[in-house]
Amino acid sequence: MRKRKLMCAFMATTMVASTMLAGCSNDKSSNNGTEANATQGSGTTASGTEGTDDNKAGSDVEKPEKITVMVDGTVVTKENGQAEFEKKWEELTGIDIEIIQPDHSAYYDVLGQTFAGGDWPDVVLLGSTYYAGYANEGALWDMTEAWENSELKASGRINNEELIDSLYLDGKLYGFSPARGNGCVTYVKKAWLDNVGLDAPTNYEEYLEMLDKFTNGDPDGNGIDGDTYGVSAAGLIGTEAPYVNYLPEFYQDAYSSFYQKEDGTWADGFTEDSMKEALTRLKEAYEAGYIDKETLTNKTSDCRTKFYEDKFGVFTYWAGTWATNLKTNLANNDRDDELVALEPIAELGNYLERQAPVWAITSKCENPEGVFKYFIESMLDGGDMQTLWTYGAEGTHWSTKAETILGVTYEEGQFHMLENLEKPGTAYTKNHIDPLLSIADFIDDKDPGIDQIAEEARESAEMFIENSTLVVTVPSTDVMSQYNGDLTTLKNSIIADVVTQGVSIEDAYARFEKEGGADWSQAIVDSLNELNK
Amino acid sequence: MKKKGSAGVAVVSPKKTRKYVIKYKSFYIMFIPVILFTLVFHYLPLFGLGYAFTEFRGIKDPEFIGLENFTRMFSSQGFLNAFGNTLKLSIVKLILNTGLAVIISLMLNEIKSLKFKKTTQTIIYLPHFMSWVVTASVFTLILSPSQEGLVNALLVNLGILDKGQEIYFLGSKKWWTPMFYVINMWKDTGWGTIIFLATLSGISPELYEAATMDGAGRWAQMRFITMPALANTIITVLILNLAKVMNLFESVFVLQNTAVIQQADVLQTYIYTQTFNSGALPNYGYTTAVGVVKSLVGCVLVLLCNYLSKKVRGRGII
Repeated sequence: MRKRKLMCAFMATTMVASTMLAGCSNDKSSNNGTEANATQGSGTTASGTEGTDDNKAGSDVEKPEKITVMVDGTVVTKENGQAEFEKKWEELTGIDIEIIQPDHSAYYDVLGQTFAGGDWPDVVLLGSTYYAGYANEGALWDMTEAWENSELKASGRINNEELIDSLYLDGKLYGFSPARGNGCVTYVKKAWLDNVGLDAPTNYEEYLEMLDKFTNGDPDGNGIDGDTYGVSAAGLIGTEAPYVNYLPEFYQDAYSSFYQKEDGTWADGFTEDSMKEALTRLKEAYEAGYIDKETLTNKTSDCRTKFYEDKFGVFTYWAGTWATNLKTNLANNDRDDELVALEPIAELGNYLERQAPVWAITSKCENPEGVFKYFIESMLDGGDMQTLWTYGAEGTHWSTKAETILGVTYEEGQFHMLENLEKPGTAYTKNHIDPLLSIADFIDDKDPGIDQIAEEARESAEMFIENSTLVVTVPSTDVMSQYNGDLTTLKNSIIADVVTQGVSIEDAYARFEKEGGADWSQAIVDSLNELNK
Repeated sequence: MKKKGSAGVAVVSPKKTRKYVIKYKSFYIMFIPVILFTLVFHYLPLFGLGYAFTEFRGIKDPEFIGLENFTRMFSSQGFLNAFGNTLKLSIVKLILNTGLAVIISLMLNEIKSLKFKKTTQTIIYLPHFMSWVVTASVFTLILSPSQEGLVNALLVNLGILDKGQEIYFLGSKKWWTPMFYVINMWKDTGWGTIIFLATLSGISPELYEAATMDGAGRWAQMRFITMPALANTIITVLILNLAKVMNLFESVFVLQNTAVIQQADVLQTYIYTQTFNSGALPNYGYTTAVGVVKSLVGCVLVLLCNYLSKKVRGRGII
């Protein structure tokens, strides 16, 4: 233990992170339980304060007294009324909850230090990059049996069991995602299409024609040709799976990282011809000025700002709620706010859906069955708890009172989101679970907030769901953790070289070989295929 | 009369020491936080050096693997590249910043109007207080490869560049390194002038008066009075900063991008990438090994500085 504490101190000072030794008391439980069962596969969510002696109802699962949870900024923050969320959660379960929420951008940094320190929380939220790694290291509890025998699975309300199936690693489930991971769709400004006399493109040729008109014509109608450009993105390649999702029309069937083929074997898409063709398309479009020259140094916020200022007309960004955000901000900037969410062009086939972050129970949790039942399973109870995780706490994040919020008047009983505490002037849109992406329906389809979701958000989400393919989780291997950092840096550098620096594909791939990329890639592919044996 | 030890150092009796400590106890109490800080953040982490010889992902117990991490490190093109970049970027930056700080100090020293001098000093100190994130954002805008970028707009309006041929300064392998130096000079040169101005103000005016009476002009005064007086300070500043060259991180991190990674990856950003962007659980053993090499090189540089200091000034810095 002492050694681990020393390690924690060591890492905290040698790495960049400013936060160290994130404390997390781990007062786990044995249980007693005079409170009600929170998970009601059949329907109502019991209130903890109303419960009787049904803490073991339907199972032998012991109810925890306290659950410690480490989560990033995707659950309501302290500034946004986390205390009310906690209060309501505790009221519904009768369990004490402690939420440890480091700064969103430093989450995995703090999480790593916490694991190294040895004082693990009961539950953690993990992105796809880390899920397989932590599972591989034995840090996560195997929840296969708990899920298979759960009331939630048997409830008939799960609308996307394939998502959970995709989370199995080597036949075992170590994490649970209550919602789809979502992904990006391509939005095109309708007014720009009209101004250049084009319809929404359906194939790459039409897509390029649109970009050409947006770059060399006058799509914004200000009387000046060539003062706009086609498309922008924050980087030529993403930093997390599915990597290629911000410029999908150029990448098409190419993938820059590891993927599983139909026959179950693994491959590195970067070494395939499809990637070379994709790089050629990107290079040509960049040289023609269709792609924002500043793509390499753009942050996503830069792209959004430029989009709102009518500097470009095609923006691939998140489906669902973001459709509304983009529309609202365009209107706020006095621009035409009508956007067309493009169906994937023919060569692209489908958009890529990212693997959703998962809730996982750590292997040091003393009562994992209880935590699964009362924390993870209850999240999708189809009633009050699901409402809490989807929309937040009543009175703080949403309300049904007759009132006027941000200039809109609501009648008594009409569900509406309240003004954001942290960003006055805007309303909340959701809590942790996006209502459009939830994998479980509300009981009797009575989602209390579904009607307040904007039409464009619903349409883009539905279009995405119909036209997307889920990116499979890549298992973690020792070889991968040894080489993938260097390999990813090299791949990204090569992509930038080809697209922006005028380096030929042949020279770029020769560098890939020379600097060890091909060997690292093959070693990782071999290690992944070894897992199949 | 104090006794003297074999090395000529005064030997004080334990009784006297105790008395001395009691007398100045408040100073010792004030020193406790500093001692604690140093122990916790500088000495305690040294126990972690052993992890450089292990494979450790922060969950299972570390597994001893001997020198494997070091073998891997020295055969990695990425590491070698980062190592070379660290030395190159830091040392050139140090020389440029110091040189420019000396020049600006000399110019400021010549200003007669105190008000103007103080105002100028304040203005050139200000960038030092800006965070690197803000600095990077400002320069990304100024250097934008469009007509909205101040520099490119200027170049186009002066006819040096054609419209549409704007330079992507921060996204170009050719331009990134010079821009990095320029941005660093803009941010830190003003602050660097403080120590030189202090030295300049300590030069006796009588020397200048005597030189004037002997017919020395401004240039001669600068050459034969000012520069020799500054030389010791310049060397001190250079060698003190030379010991810190391996710690380059923030300024590079906020300005780098994938196109210039060969020019911009330094050891600290390399460690960061290996730790947080590897797409898998990081091997802390490997990143510790990189840190150990970085520290060893830093240590060698400190000893070298000490040696140089002894040679130049007749006394060491440690």
